[in-house]
Amino acid sequence: MYADYAYLIVALPVLAFLLCLFVGWHLPRGGGFLTVLATFAGLILSLGIFSEIYPNEIIHQSMPWFANFNVGILIDPLALVMLLMVTFVVTLIHTYANGYMNGDPGAARYFAEAALFTASMLGLIYADNLLQLFIFWELVGLCSYLLIGFWYRKPSAAAAAKKAFLTTRVGDVLFLAGIILLYNNLASLNLTLAPGEYLLQFPVIYAHVAQIPADQLTLIALGLLGGAVGKSGQFPLHVWLPDAMEGPTTVSAMIHAATMVTAGVYLVARMFPLFYAAPYGLTAVAAVGAFTALFAATMGLTAFDIKRVLAFSTVSQLGFMMAGLGVGAAVGTFAVGVSIFHLIGHSFFKALLFLGAGSVIHAVNTNDMREMGGVGKYMKWTMYTMLIGSLSLAGFPLFTGFFSKDEIIVIAYEYGVMINFLPYIMLVLAAVLTAIYTFRMWFSVFTGKERSDYGKHESPMIMIGPLVILAVFAFGFGFAAQEDFYSYLDSNFEHYDVDFAQLGIIGGHVLEGHAAPEGAALEEEQGAPEVAESGHGAAGEGEEGGEGEAGEPWYIQILPIIVAIGGILLAGLFYFDKIKKFDPSQVTGDKDPIRKLLLKGYYQHEILTGWFAETVVYGTALICNMIDIKLVDGWLNWLSAWVLGFAQHIRKVQTGVVQNYVTALVLGVVVLVVVITLAMEVGLV
Amino acid sequence: MISNVISLLIAIPLLGAVVSFFAGTKAKFVALIASLIPLALSLQMYMEFDKTSKLMQFVESYDWVPSLGVKYTVGVDGIGFPLVLLSTIVSVLVIIYSWGETKKPNQYFALLLLNEVGVLGVFTSLDFFLFYIFWEIVLIPMFFLIGSWGGPRKDYAAIKFFIYTHVASLVMLLAIFALYFTYQTPEGTRTFDMLTLLAATADKTIFPTGLLNIIFAGLLLGFLVKMPAFPFHTWLPDAHVEAPTAGSVVLAALLLKMGGYGLFRVIMPMLPSVDKAFVTIIAVIAVISIVYGAFMALAQKDIKKLVAYSSVSHMGFVTLGAVAFTWMSVTGAMFQQFSHGIITCVLFMSAGTIQHVVGTRVIADLGGLADRMPKFAVLMMAGFMASLGLPGMSGFVAEFMVLTGSYATLPSYTMFVVFLSVAITAAYHLWAMQKAMFGPILKKYMNVHEPHAYELFSMAMIIVLSLIFGIQPGLITDIMGTAATQVMEPVITLTQMGVI
Repeated sequence: MYADYAYLIVALPVLAFLLCLFVGWHLPRGGGFLTVLATFAGLILSLGIFSEIYPNEIIHQSMPWFANFNVGILIDPLALVMLLMVTFVVTLIHTYANGYMNGDPGAARYFAEAALFTASMLGLIYADNLLQLFIFWELVGLCSYLLIGFWYRKPSAAAAAKKAFLTTRVGDVLFLAGIILLYNNLASLNLTLAPGEYLLQFPVIYAHVAQIPADQLTLIALGLLGGAVGKSGQFPLHVWLPDAMEGPTTVSAMIHAATMVTAGVYLVARMFPLFYAAPYGLTAVAAVGAFTALFAATMGLTAFDIKRVLAFSTVSQLGFMMAGLGVGAAVGTFAVGVSIFHLIGHSFFKALLFLGAGSVIHAVNTNDMREMGGVGKYMKWTMYTMLIGSLSLAGFPLFTGFFSKDEIIVIAYEYGVMINFLPYIMLVLAAVLTAIYTFRMWFSVFTGKERSDYGKHESPMIMIGPLVILAVFAFGFGFAAQEDFYSYLDSNFEHYDVDFAQLGIIGGHVLEGHAAPEGAALEEEQGAPEVAESGHGAAGEGEEGGEGEAGEPWYIQILPIIVAIGGILLAGLFYFDKIKKFDPSQVTGDKDPIRKLLLKGYYQHEILTGWFAETVVYGTALICNMIDIKLVDGWLNWLSAWVLGFAQHIRKVQTGVVQNYVTALVLGVVVLVVVITLAMEVGLV
Repeated sequence: MISNVISLLIAIPLLGAVVSFFAGTKAKFVALIASLIPLALSLQMYMEFDKTSKLMQFVESYDWVPSLGVKYTVGVDGIGFPLVLLSTIVSVLVIIYSWGETKKPNQYFALLLLNEVGVLGVFTSLDFFLFYIFWEIVLIPMFFLIGSWGGPRKDYAAIKFFIYTHVASLVMLLAIFALYFTYQTPEGTRTFDMLTLLAATADKTIFPTGLLNIIFAGLLLGFLVKMPAFPFHTWLPDAHVEAPTAGSVVLAALLLKMGGYGLFRVIMPMLPSVDKAFVTIIAVIAVISIVYGAFMALAQKDIKKLVAYSSVSHMGFVTLGAVAFTWMSVTGAMFQQFSHGIITCVLFMSAGTIQHVVGTRVIADLGGLADRMPKFAVLMMAGFMASLGLPGMSGFVAEFMVLTGSYATLPSYTMFVVFLSVAITAAYHLWAMQKAMFGPILKKYMNVHEPHAYELFSMAMIIVLSLIFGIQPGLITDIMGTAATQVMEPVITLTQMGVI
């Protein structure tokens, strides 16, 4: 029954968007309650659908759109958990925003854009085909642009919005290229589609991935990965995400931490069979993810803006999720469950941390942690909820982040045993840094002396309420849900006609010398990955749910706990006044090149904006402009002036001009012919 | 069903032009009525239009100069009809947008209506002679619009526009004559009948490849200059910069579409019969136009010039889709014609409104205007987003179809270049918009205010249309899809259709 109303999950926020846009000015708080209600209705519907179809069914509705494309709704385990997470977290954030944005003259615009974002994000999640997913993907990008630039009078906000849109646009172009490539490859198979089936529908893609040539698969996978890298802030397209903190904090929490940025991870998970089949597909995912996880964590260490610390942390954690999917080369579809579990857990504690930071900023009126200190004395609720969020992010035992992140590290270890240890090493290092920068932040904000004269009051209950609810989930979700979650997500691809054994052979995931390659691949399909025998003598046994860690050496299992606690302690030695042993400024001076490099964010801004955008791209434009003025058009004007000057006795000006334009035209043709002939000669066309 | 609907469609604006010329300050009311009636007629035609038929519909044919084989034959199929609809829509909106025109309004509105007559004639004529007359008629009102209502360099721009496109038209005329004199009907007479002549070009015994190549090149030049495609585009920025806003809108939204229409109507039926090198030539021109146009737009300092070059880039997609010659790409190219026609209106209206509200169009001198004109800012932003290909609006669907369809036949590295331009396109749109609209309001613009309601109304209508066709493209791509199948097959003449 709920399934029949699945379309309302998107339609209601669209309605809220229109209402806020056109009549929001006349409503209290800009009509924010409409946005909350619409999203909450989405949560209720999602829960209803969950109760209807859990654990064995999926929903697929579709209708024709235009040409060879359709619109449709596909709710399978993967989409359903995302729907639940997004509606839940976003409802809380919208509620919080009703307090946070209270009094802002642009509140109606805020809630309109927030509602449009909600609709787009949910539409992205349950799209049944890649084109529709792309459309909503672009729309969330638009909303992100609008909301980052919400305070558009601020030059830095306008610039950050533009940067975000353009950087992600680069990824989106690759994504689009990937879709087009995929479409053409599927079209060339001349499939006979049943009525209601369309080429870009996920079930159709899953069923026919194996028929696409391997080199094409790699290209498609790289294209899609490009899109994911842009949206999920992965290296090298992550540069927009820290700047995106120019928007209101609720925007950072909603779009740039909990939901939108996870879309890239979701895309890779959604297209997992294709990535699995593409040689180098998952390798690229693992490489990008693991590197980003470490790289961003180092930058999180030095930032002073509390929101930027969290932004770098988001980039880093998204790297973990990507890496988690990438190591699926070793563990199969199990990786999807692990990665999405971290995605969900992360959205709880990261939304919590951002909203907590927003609560702090709301009170102290600065983002700079150097001007905070001792805030905990005045904001008990915020301090303790943020402590839970921080512990979860750092991966402290029994908190959500511990279960989710550490499982990624464990499967990265299995990947290491089978293929390559590099992702594992990078992820462990990143995990150490995560614990350090998280508690550097928490200690220096909430403990110690008051370093400036800031506002001292707790935030209103409408803001604290969501914090508390999120804290409950940031603590308990991992403990409570892990096993069921893994087995539910593992069943995701069983609903489709997809042959992972064959895909594994195409993708080359069957290691040389492996005794029973097909058997291993088959078991992966059943969600019971078996790790190859290795020189370590430690064979990962087939795992079921989250209890499979018994197969790892004890030190591999203990390590994440040591990492988390050690990191927190280390941060305490520097930043917690009760146990402080070192002064950070004495360890590294301001002149320290490494510190400077980190503070400058590895000079990415200089390289990307300064060099690439301004020099290469704009330079090319200027050269084109010169060619246009001097050559394509210029010589023609020059000629007409020359002829006029030379033949002053010609009285009728127009006559001279006519001849010149005729000459110009003819010459244009000649130039073109020469260019094309040359091009054909050298075999360009 | 109204009989002779196409003749009415052309006659009413013509009559309106005459009346408004003598109507003095009341001209705008005359013009509005004289453009609303064709809009109503074309909507009526849309209702009656058989979307699945590949045949000409609403055909009227009368002898005109029988001794020369000249006939008055008009009719529409899936190629022409969407552009008829576009013309009637844009004409109404541009007249509403110009509601406040005070300089010689009677002539101004008469010229706008005359323009509508010309483009409607071009999109419906099925006789080359008639086609050419309408083709040339269009030049006259545009010449005067630029020359009398234009900016500081209006004389230069008007003459350049006129001569450049006129010379190209003459080359086209020569090609038409070559067709006319080569082909003889079975009865031994000559004919200007478009479909008959185009159908005959497939016959190698009548049109040997060498001759056909020359004819083809002449026709192609006429259309490419009009589009305009690189390297024949330089008349366009000058004409746009100097033209009054309404002139720019009509120029970009309707006049350029004549070039694209020519590609589908005339060029594509001949494409299978001519030298294969032409395919390469046209493809190269298309790709260069797309990428070069985008880079050129990025380099511009004047927002109107930026928009003008964006037209070069966007019209390149039409050429690309046409020459890629797949069902998907051709449908997409046709839709791009329609979509660009709608979206470019709002871009030129934005530039025009900025010009008359702020007094300059130099992007570097603008800043923070959203503060003073938020409604305008929303509409302009929506227009720019539509133009850069935001999904949900019509431009995305068109470009997606062209790219998807072209991939099948064109080499993949050419597609890579085109994809690059998609990113550049986003860059120049966002850069211009951000500089003009966002950031702190500049002191000198503190007294700037929202533009007139009629300007906002026209812009808003265009955004709505772009959304409608972006969300439900099938409204018009159903017609275009049939037409795309048709242009890739041999031409069916009116006689074969049995309509004459």
